[in-house]
Amino acid sequence: MTTVAEAPPRAPAPETEPPRKRGRWTPYLLLVPGLLWLLVFFALPVIYQASTSVQTGSLEEGYEVTWHFATYWDALSEYWPQFVRSVLYAASATVLCLLLGYPLAYLIAFRAGRWRNLIMILVIAPFFTSFLIRTLAWKTILADGGPVVGALDTLHVLDVTAWLGWTVGDRVLATPLAVVCGLTYNFLPFMILPLYTSLERIDPRLHEAANDLYARPSTTFRKVTFPLSMPGVVSGTLLTFIPATGDYVNADLLGSTDTRMVGNVIQSQFLRILDYPTAAALSFILMAAILFMVMFYIRRSGTEDLV
Amino acid sequence: MTTTKDTTASGNGGDVRLTGIGKTYGSFTAVHPLDLTVPQGSFFALLGASGCGKTTTLRMIAGLEEPTSGTVHLGDQDVTALPPYKRPVNTVFQSYALFPHLDIFENVAFGLRRRGIRSVKKQVEEMLELVQLGEQARKKPHQLSGGQQQRVAVARALINHPKVLLLDEPLGALDLKLRRQMQLELKRIQTEVGITFVHVTHDQEEAMTMADTVAVMNAGRVEQLGSPTDLYENPRTTFVANFLGTSNFIEAEVDAKSGDEIVLKAGGGKLVLPRARTNAPTPTGGKVLVGVRPEKISLTHADDAGGIPEGRNRITGRIADSSFIGVSTQFVVDSPVCPDFEVYVQNIDRDTRLVPGAEVVLHWNPAHTFGLDAAQSLLAGTVGSAGAGTVEEEVAR
Repeated sequence: MTTVAEAPPRAPAPETEPPRKRGRWTPYLLLVPGLLWLLVFFALPVIYQASTSVQTGSLEEGYEVTWHFATYWDALSEYWPQFVRSVLYAASATVLCLLLGYPLAYLIAFRAGRWRNLIMILVIAPFFTSFLIRTLAWKTILADGGPVVGALDTLHVLDVTAWLGWTVGDRVLATPLAVVCGLTYNFLPFMILPLYTSLERIDPRLHEAANDLYARPSTTFRKVTFPLSMPGVVSGTLLTFIPATGDYVNADLLGSTDTRMVGNVIQSQFLRILDYPTAAALSFILMAAILFMVMFYIRRSGTEDLV
Repeated sequence: MTTTKDTTASGNGGDVRLTGIGKTYGSFTAVHPLDLTVPQGSFFALLGASGCGKTTTLRMIAGLEEPTSGTVHLGDQDVTALPPYKRPVNTVFQSYALFPHLDIFENVAFGLRRRGIRSVKKQVEEMLELVQLGEQARKKPHQLSGGQQQRVAVARALINHPKVLLLDEPLGALDLKLRRQMQLELKRIQTEVGITFVHVTHDQEEAMTMADTVAVMNAGRVEQLGSPTDLYENPRTTFVANFLGTSNFIEAEVDAKSGDEIVLKAGGGKLVLPRARTNAPTPTGGKVLVGVRPEKISLTHADDAGGIPEGRNRITGRIADSSFIGVSTQFVVDSPVCPDFEVYVQNIDRDTRLVPGAEVVLHWNPAHTFGLDAAQSLLAGTVGSAGAGTVEEEVAR
C-alpha cells in the first residue's frame, strides 16, 4: 500500500525541480539589463569623471592622475556665486511650482470630475514639444516691448521687481526673473504629477470625517489633506529642485552673463574652455551638494515612505 | 463617563425630527419625502437593502448630503442649513475613515482639538478605556485589527458628546463572530452614555438585536416603523414580513366575521384571524393574505391528527424537505394552500415519522395569525436564498 501511494509523486518530481530552480534565478536575470545599463552609462562615467577631477596637465601634453585635490578648492572658490545662484533659482522655481501646482493637482484630484483626463492631458501636453523649443518660445513671450513686458510695465510691476533685483530696467528677458520663470514652467509637470497621485489616493471619506468632527474646510485641508499629501509634496519638490539646480538651458536662453548658473559653468568648462578637471570637480561638488541638501530635506520632512 | 451622562441629561428635547425630507439625484429619487422622529436617547435602526435610501437619510442628518426638500431638526434647532462641522452630530463611517497619518490618541482627540479644547488627555484616555483600547493609544490605525479600528471610530465620534451618533453600517466589514460581539458592545456603550444612536444596517438580525425602534425602508420610503417585536409580529406589508425573518402566506377569502375574529376560507379548510391583527380591508368575500411565522407552527403526523386540540388553525400537507440544524429542524411542507410552507420545529421530542413524503397536519394558535392586504407581491422583501441582493430587483420593479 505504501509503495503504491509513494510511487506516483516520485515520478513527476524531477520534472518539477528544474522550473523551480529557474524561477529562483528569474529576478536576478530580470535585473541584468538594468544593471548593465547603469554600469555602462552611470557607474563607469562617474568613475571616469572622478579620476578626471584629480588629474593635472594640459590638452597638448595630456592629462595624468596626480591626486590634485586643489582643483576642488579652486573651483569652489572661483565659482561659489554660481553655486549659490543655482540653489537660489532652483529653490524659487520649486516654491513657485508648488504654489502653482498644488491647487491644480487638488482641482484635478477632487473637483475636475469628467474633465480630469482632459486637464491631465493639458498638463502633459508640453512634453510633446522639445524642451528647447518651449524655452525659446518663452524668449518670444518675454521679449522686450512684447505684450507681457508692456503689461507688466503699465501695471508698474516691473518697478517692484526691479527694486527687488529680479529684473533690470524695463526688461524681463535676460534677468533672474526670466530664468526662474523658465525653470518653473519647464519643471511644473514634475511637480503636478506626484502631487496629483498622492492627492488622488486620499479617501474622500476622510474629508467627510474631518468635516463631521468639527473641522471647517480650511482646517480639514491643514490637518488632513495636506499632511496626507506630504509624500507627493516631497517627491514633487525633489523632482523639480534636483534637475533645476543643474539646469543650464534656461539660464543660457533666458538669462544673461549675470544669471549664469553652475550648469552653465560646467558646460563652458567642458565644451569651450576644455578645462576638464575643473569641469569634473564642479560636477562632483554639485552632486555632493544636492545629495546633502536632499538628505537633510527628507530627514526634516520625516517622509521615509516616498510616494 | 459621568460627564457624558451630565451632558445628555441637560440636553432635553433632543429628538431628531425629519420633516418631509427627500433627496433626488437628477431623475432618480433616493429618498421620497419622509417624516421621522427619533426620540432622544433611543437606539434607532434604519433597516433596508442596499439602495433603499437609508444611508442617504443618515447622511442628510449628518449634513454630508443636502436634502432636496424638507428640514432636519435636532431638538428645537433647525440644522438643515448648517454644514456638518457645525452640527452637534457625529458619524461612525462604514469604512471607519480613520486618519491614517494620526495615531489612535490623535484620531480620538481630533474633534475636541477642532473645538479648541486644550486639555484633551484625560477625556481621550477615558474614552479609549470605554472602548477597551487604552493600550493602543500610540499605534497608527493600520496597526489595529478591523474590530479595534471600528472601536476607535466609535470612540472618535462619541468623545464629542454628540446629540446624535450616526452609525453607517459600522459592522459591515467585520466577520460574523466579531459582528455579534460588537453588536453587544455597541448596545452596552449606548446604554452607558445614553446618547441617541441612529444605526443604518441591511442586517435584520443586527437591527432587531440592537435597536429599540426599527424603521424598515424600501425604495426610498419608510415601509414600517416600530419596535423589533412589533415589526416581527405585526408586519403591515409582505415586504416587512419577508425582510424580517421568514413568513408563510396563504391566500384566503373572508367567509364571516364574528366579534374579534374573522373566519377565512382557504383551500377546503377554515382559518381564524384575530381582527386586531390585520389592517387590511376585509369585506366578506374579499381576499386576504394570511401570514404565519414558521416557528409558531406545530407539526403533527396525519395519523395523530385526532389529538390536535380544537380551535387551532390547521392545514394539511406533505413534507417535501427537512433539514436538521441542531436546535431545530426546518421542514418545507407542500400544502394545497401554499406550495412551500416553512415550519421550524424545536428538537425536544423528535418524531421519527416526520421525514420527507410523510403526510402531516400543520396547526397553530389563531392568535399567531396576521392578515395582510392581498393586493401586493408575496415575494416583496424576500431575500432569495440568503443575501439581500434580490431585494434590489424587487425595488427596481
